[in-house]
Amino acid sequence: MLKRVYNWLDGRYGISDFLDKQLGRFYYPGDSTGWDNLGFVMIVIFTVQAITGALLALYYVPEPDQAFESIIFIMNLTNFGWLFRAMHIVGAHILVALLFIHTFVVFYRAGYKRPRELNWITGSITFFIIMLFCITGLLLPWSQYGYWVTTILVSIPSMIPFVGEKITEFLRGDQYVSGATLMRFYGFHIALLPLIFITLIAAHVFIIFRTGYSSYEDELVSKDELKTYKGRPFYKKAIPFYPDVLRRILKVSLLCMSIMFGVITFNLDLGLSEYAYIKADPLSTPLMVRPPWYLLAPYAIIREVPDKMVAITILILLTVLFIFWSFIDFSDKKRLIKRPILLGFFIAGLISWVLFTIWGGY
Amino acid sequence: MKRRDFLKSLFHLLGLSTIASFVYPAIKFIAPVKVSAKFKPVELDVKLIPAGEVYKTTFMDIPIIVIHHPKKGFIALSRVCTHLGCLVDYDRSESKLICPCHGANFTVEGRVISGPPPKPLQRVPLIVKNNRIIIG
Repeated sequence: MLKRVYNWLDGRYGISDFLDKQLGRFYYPGDSTGWDNLGFVMIVIFTVQAITGALLALYYVPEPDQAFESIIFIMNLTNFGWLFRAMHIVGAHILVALLFIHTFVVFYRAGYKRPRELNWITGSITFFIIMLFCITGLLLPWSQYGYWVTTILVSIPSMIPFVGEKITEFLRGDQYVSGATLMRFYGFHIALLPLIFITLIAAHVFIIFRTGYSSYEDELVSKDELKTYKGRPFYKKAIPFYPDVLRRILKVSLLCMSIMFGVITFNLDLGLSEYAYIKADPLSTPLMVRPPWYLLAPYAIIREVPDKMVAITILILLTVLFIFWSFIDFSDKKRLIKRPILLGFFIAGLISWVLFTIWGGY
Repeated sequence: MKRRDFLKSLFHLLGLSTIASFVYPAIKFIAPVKVSAKFKPVELDVKLIPAGEVYKTTFMDIPIIVIHHPKKGFIALSRVCTHLGCLVDYDRSESKLICPCHGANFTVEGRVISGPPPKPLQRVPLIVKNNRIIIG
């Protein structure tokens, strides 16, 4: 039956021809592993997020008086509402974890060096877009946790001199986190951010499709060679995207989905704060509200550095350094292992990030 | 059946059951939730509705109208027109109920006088006891 459907489509639209000529002749380097396909796995998990999010939007009401009740309704009265919400929550954590690992892998393999500089920039902007997805999503249940974490997070830009207050007010849409903020975050979360995200990912995938994936073996393209497009690099050992890499992507995606269902099955509170179960009260701040794990490191810097100006300057500098790293690192050496200073900074950065994350939780 | 074909069929079955295990909850989730309204009689003071007057309220989440007819006494009817669901209103001058959407006319007892509705308005039982109207 499936074969007949496939043949029907193939006869009309040349599916086999497309798979063989386009994806089958798009090669990955032989030294790549499952760790190098996490970007595509993220697209799969993002699709899961989009589907579960669209389903949740059928019952969710973005109104301060009704948002929390609509979540209770989804969890308790709708059929399988608990499952889709749990998938959406756990999926977000998995997406962020994949994002961090993907960033480290691309950095380690020097996937940002020419001709892939713009791919690093589209990727790093997508990094912040995913963070914004998470931040805007936190407020939507209108719980004590989401409300106060949002209050803290949207106040951070106000430390920027001259324009900070304006940025915070723009994010909040009001003098404090209110119904206007909820409506605004809902709009960002379901319409504006997906639009930007899909555009960036399309550019990101297009670039990787044209430049090929970075290998340890391929030499760095010289600046002269970049004047005319030379095609993808030639790998000594190559793996075709279809079916080999695609199969690998499916396997890693299934592993991520298994982790998702494992968490949903064995950790019923999904790691949520106790304040996530209480309706937001704008007149009472709960004790010990902390942002989610992926925001704890910048949160710790903001909290611990006594001079807020210095703290915000550090964060802005780190952000600029991160986004434009592909143009800042002008060394012709590709392998990180042969660059001891950068490797030292990389390891030190990684350790500091873990330490700040632990520190931020206390 | 060859072993290869058997494994292929098994793989297809696994794929289909994976899709089904997501599609079934999704369809069930999208289907509207049936939340039955709690039965709670509505009590009104008879003085609230003098003869010839009407009172609009809801009973089990359904908009209803209570009419105090000078000859027929108290009558409670659903306001939901049996044609396409608009809410009917009482016309005092002609003592009848009119649907604003497609001009259906009903008697104070809910019977169709004219217009497209296929059946009369739903009547809601009521009793009058100790100067209280108890609907439901």
